[in-house]
Amino acid sequence: MAEIGSPAALLPLALFMAVMLGISFFVRWQARAGEGGFLRQYFVGNRDLGGFVLAMTTVATYSSVSSFVGGPGMAWSVGFGWIYMAVVQVTAVFLVLGIFGKRVALLARKFGAVTVVDILRRRFRSDALAAMAAFIIVLFFCATMTAQFVGGAKLFAAVTGYSYEAGLLLFGVAVIVYTAIGGFRAVAITDACCAIMMMIGIVLLFYHVLETGGGYGAIMDHIATHEPKMLEPFSSGAMPAGLYLTQWILVGICTIALPQSVVRGISYRDTKGLHRAMIIGTVVVGFMNIGINFTGILARGAMTGPVASYGGIDNIIPVTIVTVMPPTLIGLAIVGPIAASISTISSLLLVGSSAIVKDVYLHYRETQGKTTSDESLRRLSMAVTAVLGAGVFMISLTPPSLIWLINMFAFGGLETAFFWTLLLGLFWRRANRFGAFLSMGGGTLVYCLAQGLGFKIMGLHQITIGISLSLILFLVGSFLGEPEPKEVLQEFFPD
Amino acid sequence: MTEKEKYRQICREAAATGIALLILIAFWLFAGFGLSGSTATIFHLPLWAAVSTVGVWIFAIVLVWVLTKFVFRDMDLEEERHG
Repeated sequence: MAEIGSPAALLPLALFMAVMLGISFFVRWQARAGEGGFLRQYFVGNRDLGGFVLAMTTVATYSSVSSFVGGPGMAWSVGFGWIYMAVVQVTAVFLVLGIFGKRVALLARKFGAVTVVDILRRRFRSDALAAMAAFIIVLFFCATMTAQFVGGAKLFAAVTGYSYEAGLLLFGVAVIVYTAIGGFRAVAITDACCAIMMMIGIVLLFYHVLETGGGYGAIMDHIATHEPKMLEPFSSGAMPAGLYLTQWILVGICTIALPQSVVRGISYRDTKGLHRAMIIGTVVVGFMNIGINFTGILARGAMTGPVASYGGIDNIIPVTIVTVMPPTLIGLAIVGPIAASISTISSLLLVGSSAIVKDVYLHYRETQGKTTSDESLRRLSMAVTAVLGAGVFMISLTPPSLIWLINMFAFGGLETAFFWTLLLGLFWRRANRFGAFLSMGGGTLVYCLAQGLGFKIMGLHQITIGISLSLILFLVGSFLGEPEPKEVLQEFFPD
Repeated sequence: MTEKEKYRQICREAAATGIALLILIAFWLFAGFGLSGSTATIFHLPLWAAVSTVGVWIFAIVLVWVLTKFVFRDMDLEEERHG
């Protein structure tokens, strides 16, 4: 551990958070001039993102603190099979933007939609489905955000020597405030800064890991001699084929349906930017995933003991940082992983807040025939964002155990709920309300039950159950139920 | 582009993105499991470990570049009424 309470360990992070807050206030002040309605401004940044920021915010939202801590810890233990598996995430940006990017952009403009749930409500003409979708989003997002808070604060405590609570206060309060104040535009710009800090962090750690381990050649020779299994794809059984399969589904293909990713399709300015973002995003997400996990493997050169001597896989990266970084740079080294954590939290917080404000409350007001002024929407949206953030913050103060499992659990739940509903809903005419309802409700419920009971088929992650069942239910419902009326289909499928 | 043309183009692009995914999966399988028997090394790494990580990454970038260059088309996102 670093010298306890050394202010140098705190300064870079404190500075970084101050800059994030500054960006948010600036964005807020700029928006005062205000064009478009408040909701469009706050929840999708007036659909004005350029290619670079779109790419960075998509990557930063997707990359969580576990990509920076748990993941490379596993790479340290397993070897190159882990990078081989992690590299499937190069699909995470181009798939969602390529498949849904223009589709939701056009539909959102047509209907004045600012959320993914808006579009689903319109497609399936169902308030119940929209309410269920909003509920699922808020539930799983809270779980994911808690995992991010806990992961970031644990790393902070392990590396700086300050307490867990101090870390949580330092970056947790800041992320809630800057998200609530600045809305989507602030989230997108701060995300881009976070992505850049993550890359700097990776390069920094990579360099010092090489340095401490005695150089690239020496480290690789050490691995070849002492840990030859790290050079095999199956790693002597530590990387079973089933894991590769489920990772393709869980962190590759099905991520296209994550609402926090899809909503980015509503937020960009023009198709040139979208195309650029697909390329930039693929470059960046690959760089991060390969870079950080490769760093994990190379840490073998500096950390040669058995895993238990470091206190488990999740401690590998914190101990590595403390071991290899010069004390003056430790503060800088934690900014990257914390940036990964807050950039995920900010986006989830905002989408969660939009689900409550726009998809539930405002819709209810509209059905009552009441209008809501922009001013009260502004106050309400900021308040809901802040309260939601504060709630998650409180849970994180006394974190539930097994928090890392919760993160992947939430990923799978969101994918089960939204994958077929979005994919078939937006590209298949025959998709109808009954199918979507069965698929989202039944699939998610069974997925949660299977997780809760620890039930697996052929030892595979429960996402395989969730995603297959939600497809079957979708098809059954769509063929049993009536097709949607012509006027709806005409809006969605002008063919 | 009319609304109808945009819709068709978007379906084409989505399908092409799906095909790109299949091509990437095929390359990924070949690069890792396919090459894992080779004893060749490159930059201190077994061939598979290099091609299935950095190789897959570069392959994906080229693939996306081809997609955006040859399949994807620019279109006006604001609605045009003559469709």
